[in-house]
Amino acid sequence: MDKHLSTQFDTELSTVSTRVLEMGGLAESQVNRAVYALTHLNGEVASEVLHDEDRINRMEVEIDGELSTIIARRQPTARDLRLLIAISKTIGNLERVGDEAARIARTVQRLINAGVSSRMRVPIDDLSYESTLATESLRRALDAFARLDVNQALQVLRRDNEIDVEFEGLMRKLVTYMMEDPRTITASIDLVFVAKAIERVGDHAKNLAEQIIYIVKGADIRHTPLDDVESAIK
Amino acid sequence: MNLSLWLAVRALLLAVCGGAGAFFGRRYIDHPDGWIHGAAIGLAALSVTLLLFDTLRMRALARWLVTDTARPAPVHTGPLAELGYRIDRALKAREAMTASEQDRIAQFLSAIEASPNGVLLLNAADRIQWMNRVSAEHFGLDPQRDLEQSITNLVRAPAFVTMMRAGQHREPIVIPVPGGRSLSVQLRPYGDGMKLLLSQDITERERNESMRREFVANVSHELRSPLTVLMGFIETLSDVEMDAAERARIYALMSQQGQRMLSLVTDSLTLAQIEGSSRPRVDTWIDVGGLLERIGSDARAFDQGRHVVTVEAGPPARISGTESELYSAVWNLVSNALRYTPDGGAVSVRWRLEPGGRGEFSVTDTGIGIRREHLPRLTERFYRVDSGRSRETGGTGLGLSIVKHVAQRHGGELRVESEPGKGSTFTLVLPASRIDADAAPTAPPAPAPPAGSRPRR
Repeated sequence: MDKHLSTQFDTELSTVSTRVLEMGGLAESQVNRAVYALTHLNGEVASEVLHDEDRINRMEVEIDGELSTIIARRQPTARDLRLLIAISKTIGNLERVGDEAARIARTVQRLINAGVSSRMRVPIDDLSYESTLATESLRRALDAFARLDVNQALQVLRRDNEIDVEFEGLMRKLVTYMMEDPRTITASIDLVFVAKAIERVGDHAKNLAEQIIYIVKGADIRHTPLDDVESAIK
Repeated sequence: MNLSLWLAVRALLLAVCGGAGAFFGRRYIDHPDGWIHGAAIGLAALSVTLLLFDTLRMRALARWLVTDTARPAPVHTGPLAELGYRIDRALKAREAMTASEQDRIAQFLSAIEASPNGVLLLNAADRIQWMNRVSAEHFGLDPQRDLEQSITNLVRAPAFVTMMRAGQHREPIVIPVPGGRSLSVQLRPYGDGMKLLLSQDITERERNESMRREFVANVSHELRSPLTVLMGFIETLSDVEMDAAERARIYALMSQQGQRMLSLVTDSLTLAQIEGSSRPRVDTWIDVGGLLERIGSDARAFDQGRHVVTVEAGPPARISGTESELYSAVWNLVSNALRYTPDGGAVSVRWRLEPGGRGEFSVTDTGIGIRREHLPRLTERFYRVDSGRSRETGGTGLGLSIVKHVAQRHGGELRVESEPGKGSTFTLVLPASRIDADAAPTAPPAPAPPAGSRPRR
C-alpha cells in the first residue's frame, strides 16, 4: 500500500517536472524568436511572440495550482519538498523570461514602426552574441534541471559573468554610436533596453541553476560567491 | 554408463544382497523362516545405502543447477546422469539461441546506427529507450545517461511537445535545435504503444532555399528601380513638349538605366551558368599572356584614360580551366578597382607564380579601400558596402560572387586585403594542379594536350 502510494506520488512529481520543462521550452522559444525578430527586423515573428506570451502566464498559474494540490495531499519531505519549492521558484523565473521576450518583441515593433531598416547604422547584429550566450545558458539550465545535473548547473553559474561582460561592452558601444550620430539615439536607447532584457534572461537562467543545486544538494547557494559554492557542494 | 547397464547393476546388487541375506539368515537366525528375515534385512540395508547414495548425488546435481551450470553435470551414472545431461543440453541450446538472437539484435542496432538519419525509440510513456549516435547529436542528448528520460524534458521546442502530446503526426515537423540548426522530425507509432522518432538535419537545405528566395527578391528589387526610372522618362517624353537637347539628355539617362538592367541580367546569367555547369575541364589550356592582353585593352577602353592602368604579364604560363569564366573573374576585379578608385588613381594587374607552383592574379588599386568589418561578407550576393555609391558607378552587386565562384570551381580562392583610404588588393589564387609554367610565351591558343596527360606540377 505504502509503495503504491509513493509510486503514484513519483508519477505526480515527474509529471509536474515535465510540465515545468515544457514551460521552459516555451520560454526558450520565445526568447529565440524575439531575438530572431530583432536581428531580422521581422514584425510578424515579433507579434507571434507577443501572442504566445499569454500561454506562458497561463502555464505558470496552472503549475502553481498543481503544486499546491501535491503539497496539500502528499505533505512531502526532504528532497521531494525541495523539488516542489524549487519548481515554484523556477516557474516564476521562467514567466519573467517570457516577459523579457515580450519586451524585446515590443521593442522590435517600435523599431520597425520608427522606420529602422537593416541598412541603418544601429548595432543590432552586435546583440546577437549576447543573446547567444543568454539563450545557451537558459538551455543548459533547463537541461540540467531535466537531468538534475549539478555540474551542468555549475557551468551555467560560471558563464553568467561572460554575459555581464558582454552587456557592459554593448553599453559602451551604444554610447559611442549615439555620440557619433545623434539620429541613432532613439533606436540606440531601445537597444539598451533590449540588451538589458537579454542580460536578465541570463540572470534567470542563473537562478534556475541555483535551484537545481538546492534540489540535489539541499544547499541554498543564492548570493554566495562562486568559489564558496564549489566548496560548499563538494 | 547407459541406463540398461545401470539397471543390470542394480538388479545384480539386489540379487547379491537378497541372496547373502537369505544365506546368512538361514545359518544364523534361529527360526524356520530365518532365510526370509535375512533376505529382508539384506534388502533393507541395500535400500538405505542406495537411498543415501542417490540423495547425495541429487544434492550434487541440485547444487550444480543452482550455482555452476557452465561445467558439465557432476553425476555420471543412471537416470540422474541422464537428467543432468538433458538439462545441460537444454541449457546450452538455449544459451546458443540467446547468443544468436543477441547477435541479430546487435546487427539490427548497428544497421540503424549506420543510418544517416537520427533514430530514437520511445516507450509508451515517451521515455527514451534507445537512440543512435546521429539522433543523439541532432537533439544534443547523451546516448547512455539520457535513457529513461522523458523526451520532452530534453527536447522542448513547443511544436515538438505538441506533436508528442498528439502521439502521432502524419507530416514531419521542423524544429530548431541548439547551434542554429533545424531538424525535420517525424513520429511513427509501432508495437505496443512504442514510438519511433526519426530526425533529419535540413539546415543546409533550408539555407539554400532561403538564399534562392533572397536572390530572387534582390534581383527583382534591383531591376525595379531602373525600370521605375525608365517608366518615368517614357511618361515625361510622351506628356511634355521639349527641345532636342533636353530630349537627348533624357535618352542618355534612359540608356544608362537600360545598361544597368542589362548588366544585372548578364551578371545573374553568368552566375547561374557558373553554378549550373559542371566543373571546368582540366585538359583545356588557356594562355595567361593572351588573357591579360585582352583584360588590359578592355580596361583601357572602359576607363578612357581616367586612371593609370598597368598590366604586368609576369612569367609565361598556361592555366587549365574555362577561359570565359577566368576572363569574367579577372575582369570583375579590374572593373571593380576602376570603379572604386578616384580619377587619377592607379590600378595594376599582376600575374605571379608562387614557389609552390600556385598562380596568382592580383589586382591592386589606390582606391577608397574597404573597412575590416565588411571583408567577410564582401562576396555575398548584393552585399554592398555603400549601396548608393555602388549603383551610381554601375555595380550590380554580383561581381565578387562571380569571382569567388570561379575561384572555387577551379580549386582556388579569392583573397582580399584592404586598408580604408589607401586601397585594396584582390588576389585570385589558382592551385598548382591547374598551372603549366613551361608554356612558350608566344604560344598561340594552345592545342589541347593528348587525353589522359596531367598538368605538370
